[in-house]
Amino acid sequence: MSDKIQDLLEAKRKIELGGGEKRIEKQHSSGKMTARERINYLFDEGSFVELDAFVKHRATNFNMGKVHAEADGVITGYGTVDGRLVYVYAQDFTVIGGSLGEMHAAKINKVQDMALKMGAPIVGINDSGGARIQEGVDALSGYGKIFYRNTISSGVIPQISAIMGPSAGGAVYSPAITDFIFMTDKTSMMFITGPQVIKSVTGEEVSQEALGGANTHNKKSGVAHFIDKTEQDSLDKIIELLGYLPSNNMEQPPAYEVVDDINRVDEELNEVVPQNPNKPYDMKKVIEMIADDNHFFEVQPLYAQNIITGYIRLNGKTVGVVANQPKILAGCLDINASDKAGRFIRTCDAFNIPLLNLVDVPGFLPGVAQEHGGIIRHGAKMLYAYSEATVPKVTMIVRKAYGGAYLAMCSKDLGADQVFAWPNAEIAVMGPDGAANIIFKNEISESDDPVATRAEKIEEYRNTVANPYIAAQRGFVDDVIVPSQSRPRLISAFDMLETKRETRPSKKHGNLPV
Amino acid sequence: MRKFNITVNGKSYEVEVEEVGALASSAPKAAKAPAASAGSAPKSAPKTESKPAPVAASADQEVVEAPMPGNIWKILVKEGQEVKEGDVLLILEAMKMENEIVSPKDGVVSKLATSEGAAVNTGDQLVIVD
Repeated sequence: MSDKIQDLLEAKRKIELGGGEKRIEKQHSSGKMTARERINYLFDEGSFVELDAFVKHRATNFNMGKVHAEADGVITGYGTVDGRLVYVYAQDFTVIGGSLGEMHAAKINKVQDMALKMGAPIVGINDSGGARIQEGVDALSGYGKIFYRNTISSGVIPQISAIMGPSAGGAVYSPAITDFIFMTDKTSMMFITGPQVIKSVTGEEVSQEALGGANTHNKKSGVAHFIDKTEQDSLDKIIELLGYLPSNNMEQPPAYEVVDDINRVDEELNEVVPQNPNKPYDMKKVIEMIADDNHFFEVQPLYAQNIITGYIRLNGKTVGVVANQPKILAGCLDINASDKAGRFIRTCDAFNIPLLNLVDVPGFLPGVAQEHGGIIRHGAKMLYAYSEATVPKVTMIVRKAYGGAYLAMCSKDLGADQVFAWPNAEIAVMGPDGAANIIFKNEISESDDPVATRAEKIEEYRNTVANPYIAAQRGFVDDVIVPSQSRPRLISAFDMLETKRETRPSKKHGNLPV
Repeated sequence: MRKFNITVNGKSYEVEVEEVGALASSAPKAAKAPAASAGSAPKSAPKTESKPAPVAASADQEVVEAPMPGNIWKILVKEGQEVKEGDVLLILEAMKMENEIVSPKDGVVSKLATSEGAAVNTGDQLVIVD
């Protein structure tokens, strides 16, 4: 018996070495951890349990019969993160380049199925050369089965993708279907067709980094949500993100004990928004002043910065924040901001995370490029996502709220459960300057001193319409509040809304404008 | 852009007049030269480029472009000035907001491609930081 045990231990030891010491060294020298190191870093110490370590590929073509691939190039299993069950798969680049074949995919499929059945998050760590070409259509089928499971699990369990090496061709679509994508600076890349193919087809010359590096996808394309300098930083952030999310769509996000005073009044909030409506400021300061421990976990911080999305805790519970950023593009909503916010709102709604909407928006960004780019159908995503969301929705108007953009930031009419406004808020169809020019067109044009008359009329409009009280008279605003008291008021509102139940007519699914 | 009310036959019209910069005012002068050839019909003034031609950026240069259409309200840096990442380079007035345009990196302002009062469109070059 002891011989058999020795054999088993020896076999496991060999499997754990993956592609061998040489390749592990190469992985390290290129600034990457091995698949096992990543898994051990992610999970609570000693909690990881491996599945399917003995799986082998069945390919025989092109001499594949002689190729030995430990664990078939992917490590799968489960463990705990902060004591909560999480499933994982991590492609092992040291084993035939982490390439994806039939059995490699079958291992991933198995943990995907388990994660869905048990209702626990799954983290996929991608580091693969792509499809194992020798396995032909079996490899392709493997990708298809992964995408299908990603889609079926979408909105049921949180799915997180970490890109820690190449992810090219069809492989990119699994991360794309998941909820969050993490990329590590300089060592990760994602593209459908690489630089060589692009050069041969269109003649464009571009480096891998410029085409599909972490910076590109975090700043330009909006494909990724997070960029980090090192893999450890990425994994730390995944651990933090999991803390904001429930394990599945039937549960509430975990609540944490609060040290921060829930009745904390921050006098600085009374000063943070400039009196002059033309002056920008940093909305992130407002978010931080309201949040527990002044901590804001931002999602997609580098993309479409005119809108801010991310998580805070109020009274120890997760709240998703969507806020206009007056510092960037005047805080206008545009195509990219609408996409970013629309997606974030739906992620929150799927996982029972209440929404806090901080409004200071002058309108939708004007321009031919915006109109031809389809701002109508993109902007519609925000309206759709907010209307569709049944989680508690609290809107706080801190300054401007104009026109369609006022509605798009979750007005009362889109189902906001509570709308607060600060006393300097301007809620109207359009800004005073534009509105006065239209309403008082004749008075201004017939005046002896049109400039003075216009200024007078703008002021008149501002006083009569552009304030929070008219909206409050109609009940579109539930209360006008002192800014410094925002934190206790918001905590009280979310506590009050905790038992909210809202149903929608039964349907297969809505038809989100994409 | 300046606005005037002009009354014609008792009817009031609101007229917008755009003030064009110094560049355009040199145009008629340029047109004088061909006029010297006797008898030729007056030619239209050569079209002056109101915007500086875009400069190709080298690898470590960062071109700061206008993020949206608007007017350059204030320029806060000079060519040759050292700037830090996040320093305000200029203020773009757009959507009734004084938008601060900041430096994308530490470096030196190698070129100011715009001037105060200029109307700019999305993607126009404003400043190049080396």
